[in-house]
Amino acid sequence: MIPVAAPTQDELYQDAARTYGAPLERLARAYEADPDIRGDLLQDIHVALWRSFEGFDGRCSTRTWIYRVAHNVGASHIMRQRRTRSEALVGLEELENLPDATTGPQAADRSQALDRLLDLIQRLKPLDRHVILSYLEGLDAASIGEITGLSPGNVATKIHRIKAVLARQFQQGGPDHD
Amino acid sequence: MTNLLNNPQEIWQCQPVEGVKMSAEALRQRSGKFEKRIRRRNVREYVASLLAAVCFGYFLVTTHAVLFRIAYVLFIVGLGWVVYQLHRKGSARSMPAAMGTSTCLQFFRAELERQRDVVKNVWPWYLAPLVPGFVILTAAYMRALPFPAGLASAVWLDGVVAVLFFLVWKMNRRAARRLQRIIDELYAGENSQ
Repeated sequence: MIPVAAPTQDELYQDAARTYGAPLERLARAYEADPDIRGDLLQDIHVALWRSFEGFDGRCSTRTWIYRVAHNVGASHIMRQRRTRSEALVGLEELENLPDATTGPQAADRSQALDRLLDLIQRLKPLDRHVILSYLEGLDAASIGEITGLSPGNVATKIHRIKAVLARQFQQGGPDHD
Repeated sequence: MTNLLNNPQEIWQCQPVEGVKMSAEALRQRSGKFEKRIRRRNVREYVASLLAAVCFGYFLVTTHAVLFRIAYVLFIVGLGWVVYQLHRKGSARSMPAAMGTSTCLQFFRAELERQRDVVKNVWPWYLAPLVPGFVILTAAYMRALPFPAGLASAVWLDGVVAVLFFLVWKMNRRAARRLQRIIDELYAGENSQ
């Protein structure tokens, strides 16, 4: 039997970039609104990913590893930016209890809906942002728990809140409700 | 259309992306640039401290009073210690290696705890090293000037320094408390389920 050579750092990265390139771009968009800074952030995510694969030991899945690295770079970015920007970030609980500041007439098209979604995500604290992004990417609660380190019960509670906030955000008001 | 817009996951996943790709060469270059950025930040810290040290050095060589000279030497040594501590505590860190092995919760909490520890107690590493210089400078003024001008200068100098030190300490304590609140929230959230 011919032993199979373990993939190199470059090969692991190329495979990750090919498979997860689009989610990483979406993730960068959720962490930075300014397109110029976002470009830098996305490149930082790619570099962090490439460098991280040097120490990848297969103890978790490649997907978990990729999302952890990307979210951790995103969280570092938020912490750095918070020193220069003054807007306060909120948790899901606060967002859920806020008066209708985040809601309004229903979005007329896909682009408006996406803008509204991004606006909502960019107001969240890092950990809640990780959870909502993972949810929007279609990951299940167990995977979100593995990436974030939150307990399954905690993830379930947060997803429940996310669904409530999103429902309020996307179903309230609008032409169909007039 | 309404149903489509009511599905945030679909809206999110179907947004247009540019398809950004980085070649191995681009990654290595960018990685090198990142290290350079960190080095530049460190150099900025060193240059700022060096400028201050040069000022004290100038005073040191242009004054002949022994007490003043001792004070300036103490300031230079104190500044050197502060810069060393700033560097050691990682005000400008390179990309952490454990990004993939740490969960988001572990990583975020570790970063917050690191920042909190830096600002929690600035006395031993940021303010105290400059105190000996001020003490000797006070004594030097009192000795160099006749009474009550010497005393007035010393009171004025120490008063301004005391207010500045208090403000620095207070601001850092407030920042530490804010960070601690976030850390506590994270622990509470983790243990609540």
